[in-house]
Amino acid sequence: MAENVIELVNVRRFYIVGDFCVKALDGVSAQIKKGSFTAIMGPSGSGKSTMMNLIGCLDTPTSGYIKIGGEYTNNLNEKELADVRNRMVGFVFQQFNLLGKQTALENVMTPLLYAGVRGRERKERAEALLERVGLKDRMKHLPSELSGGQKQRVAIARALVNNPAILLADEPTGALDSRTGDQIMELFQDLNDEGKTIVFVTHDRGLGMRCREQIFIHDGKIVEAL
Amino acid sequence: MIWENIKIALTSMVHNKMRTLLSLLGIIIGVGSVVAILNLGQSATDSITESMNIGGIDMVNIFPSGSSRELNVFDESFGETLMNNVDGIEAVLPTASSSTRVRSGQDILSVSISGVTSNFFEVNNTELLYGEYFTSLDNINRRQVVVLGKDVADELFPAGNAVGSYVSIFRQSSKRYLVVGVLDEKDATLGNSFNTTIFIPLNTYDQRFRHIVTMSSYTCKVQEGYNATVVSDEIENYLTDLIGSDYFSVMSAASLVEMTEDVMITLSSFLAAIAAISLLVGGIGIMNIMLVSVAERTREIGIRKALGASPHVIMGQFLVEALTLTIIGGIIGIAFGIGISYTIINMAGWQLHLSYFAIVLSLAFSMFVGVFFGWYPAAKASKLDPIESLSYE
Repeated sequence: MAENVIELVNVRRFYIVGDFCVKALDGVSAQIKKGSFTAIMGPSGSGKSTMMNLIGCLDTPTSGYIKIGGEYTNNLNEKELADVRNRMVGFVFQQFNLLGKQTALENVMTPLLYAGVRGRERKERAEALLERVGLKDRMKHLPSELSGGQKQRVAIARALVNNPAILLADEPTGALDSRTGDQIMELFQDLNDEGKTIVFVTHDRGLGMRCREQIFIHDGKIVEAL
Repeated sequence: MIWENIKIALTSMVHNKMRTLLSLLGIIIGVGSVVAILNLGQSATDSITESMNIGGIDMVNIFPSGSSRELNVFDESFGETLMNNVDGIEAVLPTASSSTRVRSGQDILSVSISGVTSNFFEVNNTELLYGEYFTSLDNINRRQVVVLGKDVADELFPAGNAVGSYVSIFRQSSKRYLVVGVLDEKDATLGNSFNTTIFIPLNTYDQRFRHIVTMSSYTCKVQEGYNATVVSDEIENYLTDLIGSDYFSVMSAASLVEMTEDVMITLSSFLAAIAAISLLVGGIGIMNIMLVSVAERTREIGIRKALGASPHVIMGQFLVEALTLTIIGGIIGIAFGIGISYTIINMAGWQLHLSYFAIVLSLAFSMFVGVFFGWYPAAKASKLDPIESLSYE
């Protein structure tokens, strides 16, 4: 039985908007096992983005607790949360979110910079990962000189570079054409085969069903977990 | 990490050259004027004191003033009294001066006339063009001999050597004096303008020219190893104790130099302080550009936070950026300031004395401005919410 990389216990996340209390997540409990490939699915406004932000330690819950890689994140301050993001989570975004004025290599090296890894090792590890995602000859290019698929590969390399416990992908194929999207999906599947835990947030049922496990969210609650 | 941050800052400066230059203008002008003012002040002070140092820096002059019974102390033996009471005086030269007319042949000239002792010339380091000085014997015997200043000799004896000729000096009636020497050209000191004065023995002056009630001045030569300013102060204290402060004035080139330096330092500090205000204005420019930069790069900040940058790291990044900006502005400003001082100093014909103090000071001050005015934008950046920043368009 594999250990849980992510554990959510009765997590609530409420926002106060004017006079209303928006219950983005309302008592969610879930476990995601090491080495799994899980899709979090639901229509927009269902709370899946909130769940992703909480798993990614960009946000903290109103109540309940979250455990990432064996560490509770509830009582962490900003600096400690940043540290957990750095070590535990690799983000892949729909809009790539590369640093526009930095080369592919520099982008991939950035998380290692924040991890305090020394210059030469940073470069070696980043180069190895860019080679792994098939961008050996694009390392010195700026994001503006890369295609959408290439940008997303850089983003994936960057997410992997600090060897995080989970890869957290938010609609990673949403801005790509279907052929390129398929290639990216294949890359994720390869990474999962190599043992990476992947959490895949999408509203696309077809894409979600290609993952091994699925969590369906509706109105801030899990309606079905497969 | 700092190097990466400097690189990021430089990249963003290169991408926005015009904007960067405009926002740095305040810093550049501020640093430039501080450097220029302090450099110019330094150079002006140096060239003024240099010109004062030429003559009589080791002399202190005492000028009795007013008319009072108290002035009786200023007789011929006052010099000895003074030397017995104040340390560090090598010689005291009593001088009685007035103005008169002097004639040779048809030429009549208005000149200053000084009755001096025979050691006057040696102590003042004058040099002879012709002839020799009068002696102490001439003084004791009240002989009617005269030493002419260079300009006077040139006017009265355009043909050349005046030694051996006679000139007539007017008082109530004219009396003939034998010219024994002509001085070479010499810059004026505080007490004496050598070129336009004629010198006769002090006793001759007293008996044959005008009876001396009190001396016009005393020139004290300061012994080597003593500070002229200190000796000057001691003389002043001694005289104040003796007769009160109303009946004399003490002046020395040394204290004038010191005064000039004080005035120049005060003046240039004052001007530099005004110029420093423009540095503060420049700082506001820095704050403005940093706020723009933070707003523009909200998304970048969000990304960096998602990748694990703590608030501290983000704060550091923007502080380093502000510092980089102001240091570059400071360096350009220093170059600009040195350029200005060089131009002005060339026109004024002074010597350029770079004030390294000014350079270090203004660079340090512009760095301070960078940190001070960069703090708020950097703190603002560090506090941005990562989720909101990531969805910022």
